[in-house]
Amino acid sequence: MSATDVPVKGSFRGASDLPLVARQVGFEQLAFWLNPIGAVLTIGFSVVFIVIFESTSRHTTVNYLPINLGQYYIPAFAAYGVMAACFNVLAISMVNRREMGLLKRLRLSPLPTWMLLAAIFVNWMIIALIQVVLLLAVGRFGYAVHGPRDVGMFLLVLLVGLLSFTAMGVGISTVVPNADAAGPVVSLVFFILVALSGLYFPVKPGSGLATFTGFFPIRHLILATVDSFNGISDTSTWHDILVVAIWGAVGVFVSLRRWEWSPKRG
Amino acid sequence: MPARARGRDECGVDVPAVSVEHLSKSYGTSVAVRDVSFEVQKGEVFALLGPNGAGKTTTVEILEGFRERSGGRVQTLGVDPADHSTQRWLRTRIGVVLQELAVEPFYSVRQVLSRNAGYYPNPRPVDEVIELIGLGEKADDRVKRLSGGQQRRLDVGLGIIGNPDLLFLDEPTTGLDPSGRRETWELIRLLAASGTTVLLTTHYMDEVEALADRVAVLFGQEVVASGTPSSIGGRDLGAVTIRFRLPEGVAPESLPVPAQAAGDGHVEIHTEDEVRVLHELTGWALAGGHRLQGLSVLRVSLEDIYLGLTQGMAARRAEQREAGGAGRPAEQVRP
Repeated sequence: MSATDVPVKGSFRGASDLPLVARQVGFEQLAFWLNPIGAVLTIGFSVVFIVIFESTSRHTTVNYLPINLGQYYIPAFAAYGVMAACFNVLAISMVNRREMGLLKRLRLSPLPTWMLLAAIFVNWMIIALIQVVLLLAVGRFGYAVHGPRDVGMFLLVLLVGLLSFTAMGVGISTVVPNADAAGPVVSLVFFILVALSGLYFPVKPGSGLATFTGFFPIRHLILATVDSFNGISDTSTWHDILVVAIWGAVGVFVSLRRWEWSPKRG
Repeated sequence: MPARARGRDECGVDVPAVSVEHLSKSYGTSVAVRDVSFEVQKGEVFALLGPNGAGKTTTVEILEGFRERSGGRVQTLGVDPADHSTQRWLRTRIGVVLQELAVEPFYSVRQVLSRNAGYYPNPRPVDEVIELIGLGEKADDRVKRLSGGQQRRLDVGLGIIGNPDLLFLDEPTTGLDPSGRRETWELIRLLAASGTTVLLTTHYMDEVEALADRVAVLFGQEVVASGTPSSIGGRDLGAVTIRFRLPEGVAPESLPVPAQAAGDGHVEIHTEDEVRVLHELTGWALAGGHRLQGLSVLRVSLEDIYLGLTQGMAARRAEQREAGGAGRPAEQVRP
């Protein structure tokens, strides 16, 4: 009997697994770019909006904001890019994969679960980061909006946002019963909360709307990103990061409780 | 059998490719599989036959390690498929063709096969698989551009790309046209001839007869019969029907053995002693210079056996239900 006949135990083979993860990320990226309409819409949406908003109101100031709207929209839309990729698009994609039986097929392949999920998450994080870099470039070279001024805090906020909204995206995908419902359910929740949370116009602190949207993570990620981008972080920024992280933990909890590989077809 | 040893347990002892003993699976109070036992030997093509909801797919998913069982003992290639510590290894040795199509639409045929080939330590060459599944001209086409039958063939390709020791085929020819079915059968025969063990679920009797070395019939979540396709349910022992066109000018009463008119000028003889009856009949025809046009000997079909088994079981269960006996049928469930 050769060595290959002895069952090898464990699903993690250390550093030798990393090239497999990278390969899988490569195929995830390939799948994303092979659908050019989807790719352009995903990445281009925030760029189109930032061009419109920066062109029309970048010098506008509001009395409850220490910066002008030009300094607000670039980081706010960077936060939006993170949330859109890691929550909205990821959740819809996960529901579709599950309902098409793609998750089940990969589950039955030798690709370990951790490797598959890591590749999917890293793929969407890459797409989110492409949007962030693109927006920062448009801001800097198109409208002379410079930042981030607090690079460390900005990167921390992005990291917490990427991880937390990925967890929330997977979490909400587990409660969507079928592929037809994925777009309406996820996008409705997301775009309403995004609008109310101050993406298109800053919400006045202490207002009823600010109190309402303060229960949800979107406003907190926008505020933390704007603060760190403009170098005006304070203790409230840490509070924002904490709220986003708590929502991320809720996403992890829901995902672990409700995850299914098979189609629900509900 | 290829040189590579197949299906040994952790002590290196040769074991069946699949071993199932008293397997059960329940979802709450609903029983999906009840006390199922069978073995699949290495290199064998084994078919699980049964109506929808009989428990075929649940049984196969437990063997693949996709679903946990509620009771019983199961071994796939010598390991417990529910043991998470050996699942990664096990999945390098098995191939799976799912009941429903599951292929990403934007990849090309070559890309999706190349991706999956990378998951296995000893995959088949991608081009070889593309040729085997008959998609040579479509190799660089996007999956979404393929017809349903071509996508189904690609699904089969994904099942064999890892060069598996054991291949699970869950209704692999559903949705294929007749030529696609025949090509898939040829592929399965080719794999079996090279030593691959195949566990097949199907509704098609002709598929079982064409491919399977042995078959088990699942009905009401349990195995009601098993054997070779030619002998299951006493098929090889039952009566046969001898049928031919009655020669012109000959009355049925003139035949050397009693026959019944079967319409269209044909007669039928039902007998369990076909050798003697054929001897008498052909002797009479030769002596009298009669031609027995369309002479055929028909054994009871696998479909007849299958329907007899399943309808018999259904009737027995109905009687038990009416008598208020212990054999209350389980609720049929699809997980």
